[in-house]
Amino acid sequence: MSTAVKTQAGQISADARPASGAWAAEARTDAASRLAAMGLPTRRDEYWKWTRPDSLISAAPATAEVFDNQGEPLVFHEIDRLKLVFVDGVFDADASDDLEGEGLEIERLSTASEKDIHWAKDLYGVLETAGQTPVQSPLAVYNSAMATDGVVVRVTGKPTRPVSLIYRHEDSASDVILHHVIKVEEGATLTLLENGAAAARFNQVTEVDVAKGAEFHHVRAQGRDHDRQAITHIFARVDAEATFKSFTMTVNGKLTRNECVIDIIGDDAVAHIAGAALGDGAENEFHHDDTVFITHDAVACESRQVFKKVLKNGAKGVFQGKILVKPDAQKTDGYQKSQSLLLDDDASFQAKPELEIYADDVICSHGSTTGAIDEEALFYLRSRGVPTPIATDLLVLAFLADAIEEIEDEDIAAEVTGRLDAWLTRRRG
Amino acid sequence: MAGVDELIAKEGVEEETVEAVKSLAGAYKYGWETEIEMEYAPKGVNPDIVRLISEKNDEPEWMTEWRLEAFARWEKLEEPSWALLNYPEIDFQDQYYYARPKSMEEKPKSLDEVDPKLLATYEKLGIPLKEQMILAGVEGAEDMPAEGRKVAVDAVFDSVSVGTTFQAELKKAGVIFCSISEAIKEHPELVKKYLGSVVPVSDNYYATLNSAVFSDGSFVYIPPNTRCPMELSTYFRINAENTGQFERTLIIADKGSYVSYLEGCTAPQRDTAQLHAAVVEIIIEEDAEVKYSTVQNWFPGDEEGKGGIYNFVTKRADCRGDRSKVMWTQVETGSAVTWKYPSCILRGAESQGEFYSIAITNNYQQADTGTKMVHLGRDTKSRIVSKGISAGKAQNTYRGLVSMHPKAKNSRNYTQCDSLLIGDKCGAHTVPYIEVKNNSSRVEHEATTSKVDEEQMFYCRQRGMDEEEAVALIVNGFAKEVLQALPMEFAMEAQQLVAISLEGSVG
Amino acid sequence: MLKINNLHVKLEEEDKRILKGVDLEVPAGKVHAIMGPNGSGKSTLSYVLSGRDGYEVTEGDATLDGEELLDMEPEERAAAGLFLAFQYPVEIPGVGNMTFLRTAVNAQRKARGEEEMSAADFLKFVRAKAKDLKIDADMLKRPVNVGFSGGEKKRNEILQMAMLEPKMCILDETDSGLDVDAMKLVSEGVNALRDEGRSFLVITHYQRLLDHIKPDVVHIMAAGRIVKSGGPELALEVENNGYADILAEIDA
Ligand SMILES: Nc1ncnc2c1ncn2[C@@H]1O[C@H](COP(=O)(O)OP(=O)(O)O)[C@@H](O)[C@H]1O
Ligand SMILES: [Mg+2]
Repeated sequence: MSTAVKTQAGQISADARPASGAWAAEARTDAASRLAAMGLPTRRDEYWKWTRPDSLISAAPATAEVFDNQGEPLVFHEIDRLKLVFVDGVFDADASDDLEGEGLEIERLSTASEKDIHWAKDLYGVLETAGQTPVQSPLAVYNSAMATDGVVVRVTGKPTRPVSLIYRHEDSASDVILHHVIKVEEGATLTLLENGAAAARFNQVTEVDVAKGAEFHHVRAQGRDHDRQAITHIFARVDAEATFKSFTMTVNGKLTRNECVIDIIGDDAVAHIAGAALGDGAENEFHHDDTVFITHDAVACESRQVFKKVLKNGAKGVFQGKILVKPDAQKTDGYQKSQSLLLDDDASFQAKPELEIYADDVICSHGSTTGAIDEEALFYLRSRGVPTPIATDLLVLAFLADAIEEIEDEDIAAEVTGRLDAWLTRRRG
Repeated sequence: MAGVDELIAKEGVEEETVEAVKSLAGAYKYGWETEIEMEYAPKGVNPDIVRLISEKNDEPEWMTEWRLEAFARWEKLEEPSWALLNYPEIDFQDQYYYARPKSMEEKPKSLDEVDPKLLATYEKLGIPLKEQMILAGVEGAEDMPAEGRKVAVDAVFDSVSVGTTFQAELKKAGVIFCSISEAIKEHPELVKKYLGSVVPVSDNYYATLNSAVFSDGSFVYIPPNTRCPMELSTYFRINAENTGQFERTLIIADKGSYVSYLEGCTAPQRDTAQLHAAVVEIIIEEDAEVKYSTVQNWFPGDEEGKGGIYNFVTKRADCRGDRSKVMWTQVETGSAVTWKYPSCILRGAESQGEFYSIAITNNYQQADTGTKMVHLGRDTKSRIVSKGISAGKAQNTYRGLVSMHPKAKNSRNYTQCDSLLIGDKCGAHTVPYIEVKNNSSRVEHEATTSKVDEEQMFYCRQRGMDEEEAVALIVNGFAKEVLQALPMEFAMEAQQLVAISLEGSVG
Repeated sequence: MLKINNLHVKLEEEDKRILKGVDLEVPAGKVHAIMGPNGSGKSTLSYVLSGRDGYEVTEGDATLDGEELLDMEPEERAAAGLFLAFQYPVEIPGVGNMTFLRTAVNAQRKARGEEEMSAADFLKFVRAKAKDLKIDADMLKRPVNVGFSGGEKKRNEILQMAMLEPKMCILDETDSGLDVDAMKLVSEGVNALRDEGRSFLVITHYQRLLDHIKPDVVHIMAAGRIVKSGGPELALEVENNGYADILAEIDA
């Protein structure tokens, strides 16, 4: 499917695009023409200088061996949740729970897009379009033009269980595009879980509208398949007094770029985005890129970016983050933290933590540190009898803690910590 | 109470702030013009103009060729647009590239022969071209002999160097301090070896243009194991209208030497913008140390944003030798547009680079400034302290790069980058690039943006200060770490500038 | 000297009323003390008098020697002779204590049309005053209040008061956090300034301070109002029995 990217970018013809009802057809046509004007990313683009877009847009098919987790239960298995399963990008109704829940309306994107009138019309491709400033995301536009599957979720109440999207990867040559639209209505609350690799190459867009006073909590664990590649995009619009929180855990993966564009449009809103990535380049390449743009366009809002990376054996980390404070966004409180722990000399980290501020009554800051493990702390632990590998892992987990703390639900946070701990333990042998 | 006397001495620098604030009334102090007969090259730039400049300077053939090659490259380059700067397109053909006072046609043999009008100009700027002690006006500054301190001055007026003081005395110490045009003739071997070796001819658009058309500037060579007996300084004055100033500075600190170099700049107040594109190259050999301080006070344009200097500057120090050291300190208060990133190439093992900067923008000024610390050698260290202050409708950007190459083992960087906003119509931005390619190095970067603290303002006002005075005091405190890095007499001037630059920014 | 008339104050940003009709008069040369439970509005009163942002006067007025205080900018009030020793003195990094003092002294002199003090005179002046308060050279050199201990901050406030020679001094819990010796120093500093042209409004919780600085009148403030006034014996009563009795008596 996305083999078409390279060959057809700029000229995605109407018949290459999926058939659909009026609103969806219009949105897809619009995306196709926007992409034609924008073109695909190149290494000369300011925000692609540290991550090569080539393999994400290449016409050559991507392959990734399916990860054998040796019967180990998947992450979140202990959490009571409403499961929606995609196998290589196709919704699997049999493996999924019923598409209903208290205060929830769930539909497949393919079903929704056949209808002539649908609430998703006001969001599909719309938040993505708005998110093209300050920086363009052509691969998200491509997604809007081409996506056939995904879910559209409208939340009107406070469902007791999280909605959980499970992306199974079974075909080693799958190339998948998924597009989700989520609308959390005024005062409603949703927790969204995601896990799995989805495909050898995965392009995802999630558009999230968090209405006044609503809450959206998102925790994601990206698949462990070593060769997989992923470009994911979140476009969020956060209204007054609403809360948006998103956390991503990444272990393994040849190439991952997680983009997140958040527009805060209502006063007193809160938006937090966090990530913990563990990469070991010994088993395979590991390149992880977090690219985040937060725009404050309202008064007295709070934003946080907390990204932690632990890298070794040639693993590469990239962080690009911007806080943009518009002229009238007074009383903004913005903080950005990007830290990397380089466990050996071959690992590398590149960062560009930007502040662009046009209002004066603000407190905005960022901190970025890069370096090896704290020798003093290590020595202290060893002097208490903890062997070096265990001491190192302890310090690694402690280093990641700031990011994990951004997960509000304790059970889910414990699950994430457990997985990270297991990853470290396995490598200790 | 012993100690109190000492205390005043040590505190001397900032002690004077308040007086400074009060003693200086008007805004831009240096906006007047010297009426003097000038000789211009025809407007515009082309190979003929490049040859003409070379000819005016009596240059050898190799230098002319070097320039022409640079010009050929420049024609192929495009003006960069990545900085957060917004200014009308510059018509590079609508400028004079060479302007020299008629009286300088015959190069004066000594300072006594210099046109009195030119001498008067520098006198009025507070830089008398006399070989006298400069009294720093700071009570009991410890490191200063009772009779004052000597500072040698090279004075550049539009396109030419007017004269250089203390040359004889410096010569005795083996130090060469002269205009670059003189050095090309007198010390071709040094110039040939080092010119363009730190900032290559085609480094960037403005540096390439400078390589083709630079008309004068300063040259410094400090021989091995020599501590330069006095501070060296160059004072740049743009006087002529529609004229670009393109100066070139080359500083070579040979093994084990030390020099502190100061640079000042001013220009008359005019309605049309003027271009300034300089290149500074510094070569620092083993165990040598260079301190380079700038107080940049080009005309910033008026309150409506009319006029002012467009300042595009490439400054780079190459710490070639082991344990070499460079310290850039800059106080950027002038210019309508500033595009400037004094950088350090830390090549030698255990070499060190420091960058201290205060950038103040008010009214419609725009600054995009910062530094690059490129760590190539092992055990290298760098430190960046940047204080940006934005007021009025100004935009102020810190842009920097810290790069740890794979071989730069055990290296360190610390960056502190603070921005202060005064008023809700201005902007403050931070664009740092961090690249770390080994794990024995440590990079720490911190940045904050906020407005002047209200509690501090109220505290000052409760003690009787008006708003403007309180802001000047707090801003000077905010910028203190950088002010302290300046040589004493510059620190005082800088403090006054901080206050003046912010005039009219509150209330 | 200071006359406060039915002063009502609320927070600017929210609908919270803090002062609900304060009446107070401190004649020239007198020392008045204000005591009262935490949160009763004592600091608010001192802030409003000195012109801090964030408060809105909804009713009433305040004059200093007949001049309407509430219309003036903070620095004008300072120049008119009003001084506030802050309960929580503000830290100003990078600004030397000495520079701060000198800027303040000269600003006030200028505002009053007096000559600025020369560097030498200023130095002599500061030295003498600092010595009395046992403030050493190091403290003068350091940035304003940065890294000062609680006691040092309070002594620094008194030093500023001594330098600025105001006519109306408000001391907001200047005794809090002081050890016995520091308390003595501070009160000596205050007593040295006592003069028939100068008045004091001393906000405190403790009799201890009032042993040193003998008040002429003691006021009890509660819930944004002066609920009781009396002689020095009132402070003793508070010291011995707390506020409960007095408040109960008023409620009754
Ligand atoms: N800026 C403010 N914001 C919110 N509440 C305030 C503010 N200033 C004062 N208050 C409240 O007003 C009341 C009086 O405070 P204050 O004057 O500090 O009391 P006191 O000094 O008598 O202990 C308290 O309840 C306090 O919390
Ligand atoms: Mg209080």
